[in-house]
Amino acid sequence: MTPPIDARALGKRFRREWGLRDCTVTIPEGAVVGLAGPNAAGKSTLLSLAAGLLAPSEGSIEVLGRNPLREPSVLAEVGYVAQGAPLYRSFTVAETIEFARRTNSCWDEALLADVPTRIAPRTKVGALSAGERARLALALALCKRPRLVLLDEPFAGLDPLAGREFLQLLMDGVAETAATVVIASHVIADIERVCDHIVLLTGGGVRLEGNVEELLESYRILIGPRRPLGSIRGVRSIVRERHSGRQLTLLVRTDGPIVDPSWTVEPVGLEELLLAYMAPERMPESAPPERLPLRWHG
Amino acid sequence: MAWVTWRQHRPQLVAGLGLLAALAVAAFGTHLPIQAAYHRDALADCLPPASRSGCDIIVRHFESEFDSWVAALRGLAVLPALAGLFVGAPLLAREIEHGTHRFAWTQGVTRSRWLLSKTALLAGATLAAGAAASAIVMWWRSPFDTLEGRMAPSGFDIEGLVVPAYALFALALGVLAGLVYRRTVAAMTATLVAFASTRFVVLKFLRPHFLAPLHSIVIATDSPPAGGDWVLSDILVDGGGRRITAGREDLAVLHAQQAGIDPHTYLVTLGWKRVISYQPAARFWTFQLIEAGLFVALAVAVILATLWLVRRTPT
Repeated sequence: MTPPIDARALGKRFRREWGLRDCTVTIPEGAVVGLAGPNAAGKSTLLSLAAGLLAPSEGSIEVLGRNPLREPSVLAEVGYVAQGAPLYRSFTVAETIEFARRTNSCWDEALLADVPTRIAPRTKVGALSAGERARLALALALCKRPRLVLLDEPFAGLDPLAGREFLQLLMDGVAETAATVVIASHVIADIERVCDHIVLLTGGGVRLEGNVEELLESYRILIGPRRPLGSIRGVRSIVRERHSGRQLTLLVRTDGPIVDPSWTVEPVGLEELLLAYMAPERMPESAPPERLPLRWHG
Repeated sequence: MAWVTWRQHRPQLVAGLGLLAALAVAAFGTHLPIQAAYHRDALADCLPPASRSGCDIIVRHFESEFDSWVAALRGLAVLPALAGLFVGAPLLAREIEHGTHRFAWTQGVTRSRWLLSKTALLAGATLAAGAAASAIVMWWRSPFDTLEGRMAPSGFDIEGLVVPAYALFALALGVLAGLVYRRTVAAMTATLVAFASTRFVVLKFLRPHFLAPLHSIVIATDSPPAGGDWVLSDILVDGGGRRITAGREDLAVLHAQQAGIDPHTYLVTLGWKRVISYQPAARFWTFQLIEAGLFVALAVAVILATLWLVRRTPT
């Protein structure tokens, strides 16, 4: 089975700066993947590389087993919605649908049933709200019956209700096709609800990757009185340590049950885990200094 | 893709048809007085070989009457560039500027096919429009072509096959410039500069040598040969074949005037001759074919380069 996205040591340099560097990641088939990371972490760059809109400066990327630049025919099976859902503003909704119908050989309009009834087909795309445009772009991407759906910051500019409608459309669309979905977002709360797999990108490369359940299972928060830290049984590494007064709070990666009764053990939320990896107070793995992640602004 | 191209380029198509209609109306309106004058002066009888004496006067009057119109018509040489500026340059630059290429290029139709289909359809429309404009101009200029010929650039550049070929080349340049510069205004500027310089280089350095020019040698004071030929150079040489500068000719004339001799007779007695190098009027269609072929070949090369580029270095 070829993975939907297989990136190896992938890097892309823009004029002076690297947009993405040393990214090795395999997206599992059928997963709903949250591509998280701070601004400028390379999320859009990775998706653009996957959509064949950028050429890698180093390394390689394969999409559904094919090189998206050399074999652009693979894009027929990829539904890609770029940041801001760019569509022709002068087209009406009906014309936009016609455009997509005529530029795709595989086209299943069943999904559109939802869109035109709620957006007048004669409306110009430029006059749509951000939420309506995002839903239209998503519906067009889903009508291709894609095996892989790539969404770049789909929630940017959407109010919570529009965001929920967008997710609903997405989930309905991929429910029957079992397509793999990659959603890039810098707001973790937006993707937390739907993702079963997480890829965390920071200034360089992949910082954390894995199944959400397994990840949450293997991390714990330990709360206890302040003390000098030795090794704790059941703890593989400490991701973050925080002192407040006499209390010490640790975010740790476990490799067994924590039996020491002086620690209060609590589960960790996805957002907290990702934030800890984006701006760790203590690096869990040695990383070269230039790869220090950017500060989190979200 | 035909629908897509039609939908996206409807405004340009409408503008192009409007321009052609305006050209046709203007041509028809201005041609009426020309035709009237042509028949009034019975100019048809003045054409070689049946030229009557005094015809030169009638022809001169006719020509001077419409001189400014013919000169204005030369301005139509810019028409083909419009295809590059307003159809070619925005084709990719607008998409990239608005980010819509991220939508268009990620559909099932690959971007090379997308670009090839659009370019091919627009090229067809451009060729048709160019041919129509050329036909209108040829019809309008036909009295002047008969009298003055159309081998010189003033006629050659706006008639025949070269007009659609220029337009096709401009279109291709525009598309490439749009991909390279990614901004509509920058692409339009680059298109204009590249188009104008190519035209200039071909006109100045290549067209005179498509076929070896003919030479005619006449005595110093003869009037130039009958119209219709494209005179490339007209120089005065002495008996030994050395070129005589204008300054030296002036000195000779002054000398003759001081000596009380008729300057014309004097120049002839010196043995000076004029050597005229020209492309004969009869080569019009041959040259049209060569130049149109050259520009079509250039256009095809530019389009192939654009297709190669759009696949290799996307955005």
